[in-house]
Amino acid sequence: MTASSRRFPLSRRRLLTSAAALGAGVLAAPYVARAEEPVLNITGWGGKWGDVMKAEIGPAFEAEFKCKLKTDTALPFLPKLQASSRSAPVYDVLHTNSNEQWAAVEMGLVEPKVDPKLVPNIADVYPYAVSDKIVGVCIFTSAIGLGMRTDKGYTNITSWKELWDAKYNGVRGGYVIPVNSLGQALLMMCGTLYGKGQTDLDAAYAALEKLKPIKLVDFTGAMEKLLLSGEVGLGVIHDSGIYRYDGQNQPIDFVTPSEGVLSLEQVLSITPGSKMKELANAYVNYMLRPEVQKRLAETVWYSPANKKVKLDAKYDAKLLTTPEKVSKLIQVDWKWYNAQKDEIDSRVNRIFRA
Amino acid sequence: MTSIAPQSRSDLAAPVDLATTLALRSKTSPPRWGRTLYLAVNIAILVFLLAPIAIVIVFALNPTPFIQFPPVGVSLRWFEKFFASREFMHALGFSLEVAAMTTVAATLLGASAALAIARGNLPGSRLIVATMLSPLMLPAILTGLALFQSYVLLDVGRPQWGLVAGHTLVTIPYVVRTTLAVLHNFDLRLEEAAQNLGASPTRTFFEVTLPLIKPGVLAGAIFAFIVSFDQFPVSLFLVAPGNETLPITLFNYLKFDLDGTIGAASVVSILLAFIVVIALDRTVGLRSYVKL
Repeated sequence: MTASSRRFPLSRRRLLTSAAALGAGVLAAPYVARAEEPVLNITGWGGKWGDVMKAEIGPAFEAEFKCKLKTDTALPFLPKLQASSRSAPVYDVLHTNSNEQWAAVEMGLVEPKVDPKLVPNIADVYPYAVSDKIVGVCIFTSAIGLGMRTDKGYTNITSWKELWDAKYNGVRGGYVIPVNSLGQALLMMCGTLYGKGQTDLDAAYAALEKLKPIKLVDFTGAMEKLLLSGEVGLGVIHDSGIYRYDGQNQPIDFVTPSEGVLSLEQVLSITPGSKMKELANAYVNYMLRPEVQKRLAETVWYSPANKKVKLDAKYDAKLLTTPEKVSKLIQVDWKWYNAQKDEIDSRVNRIFRA
Repeated sequence: MTSIAPQSRSDLAAPVDLATTLALRSKTSPPRWGRTLYLAVNIAILVFLLAPIAIVIVFALNPTPFIQFPPVGVSLRWFEKFFASREFMHALGFSLEVAAMTTVAATLLGASAALAIARGNLPGSRLIVATMLSPLMLPAILTGLALFQSYVLLDVGRPQWGLVAGHTLVTIPYVVRTTLAVLHNFDLRLEEAAQNLGASPTRTFFEVTLPLIKPGVLAGAIFAFIVSFDQFPVSLFLVAPGNETLPITLFNYLKFDLDGTIGAASVVSILLAFIVVIALDRTVGLRSYVKL
């Protein structure tokens, strides 16, 4: 035995033991790290919403609740949630639009409602935010109405029915219904306008036939650009998509039709298998706090669901911040829509392909 | 006495050959309209291939926040916005990192597999080739979903190595295909000669085999890099929160902001792919592959 080996006696057994310990340590490291700090997995949006969440709202929540917020902004959320185990879901809180929430609840991926005892701020929300048309709780809404160019001499647009006026042929804008919530909401509105109600599909299909020619887009952002470029003179859009250009001297405006505006809700729900239920409820409650609501509403022009929120005058004038304004909201029966979706997709594809 | 006999056979034959050649050429060469049509078809194909890139460049340089044709001016504002965005810069760096790791993994695995298939006298080698190429036949989005489910079952979350593994899976077929193509024309006698001269199998591999198959391996590596860098469907399920690749970040961005930043990001991506190809050409030479 050499002097050096005597100084550091390294037998084969010791080497193997050390290697095994090191390996176990490496494998266990993520779990140890996880154990140190609770992680709340949520979904969220990109764009300005994502920016303010990442820079302010998220870090403030982490600091207050001593946890880590992991926000997935990469769509699609539902297939990922569906692919993960029900007992260990990939998300604790699902943030999506209402139509996807209904699909999620039908599959048992999210809980149908949020418990008001665990989320005290629910007491301050407008009734629409917890209505029977909502899974979980709605934290914000946009108003779907009409976006118009103000430099084309279009006047007296007060009704949804203006969209069918022949003078807008060539500059009328809508959505690819199977993939866009606004398009789907419009279809339901067609039933209300020309039939017996939202579920009158025959009347809706007939009305959609008469909307042609129409420029269809997949994303709401694309509709904004068509309006900005003047390719669309009158189109379906949510108020946030118009108001976000406020102060930029763009010749576009939002019209609230007399029949009412459709709601495009931002909804939070909690997954049944979440191991972070307490934190998930705390997050939902946090997102309903007046100061958080105000900050986000004034960033992305969404109408806050909490009626105690006091927005600055500029936002207050345009967003749905009073019971009178909120009363113009028409909520879509997404549960019913999702059940008919395949049939509707097939029919509208035929209508617009032709 | 001066001989009038032809000095050589070729002197006599030359005028005849020339005449024959001219006659044949006039019969076989395509008429002028044919050449014009050939040229027109080639130009049409080039326009078809390059038009999307041209539109992206116009979009990126247009100062308006929407696509406008004809453009109203030239501005670098979208490039400024792209390079000033921490989110985009992180996504760009992360995409490059993943693409680099994928390229190394796919090249090592794909080239080794191709060598084993071509040289190993393996039973069912055709089936092995088909299996190696099968990720190309399966829709990539299903590959992504299947991997995501596997990771969930293993409770490993969505680690970076998982994303690299997914990208490697869909890029290996490119390396296998291009390396096999080179190995198909490989003269085995060169290796035998090296070994007869005393070279060890390792030395033969590094000094004879590898230099000869290098063009195929490199072509596969370039494909692997570009496919990984632009990969969308596999990444869709495998990116972890806070670690999104550039294509995923672009997709999320355009849902909310469809402005010239998308065009600027696309131009940067195209330039990066171009730079990689040029750099590889200059450092290891791709022209030899073109000759094959």
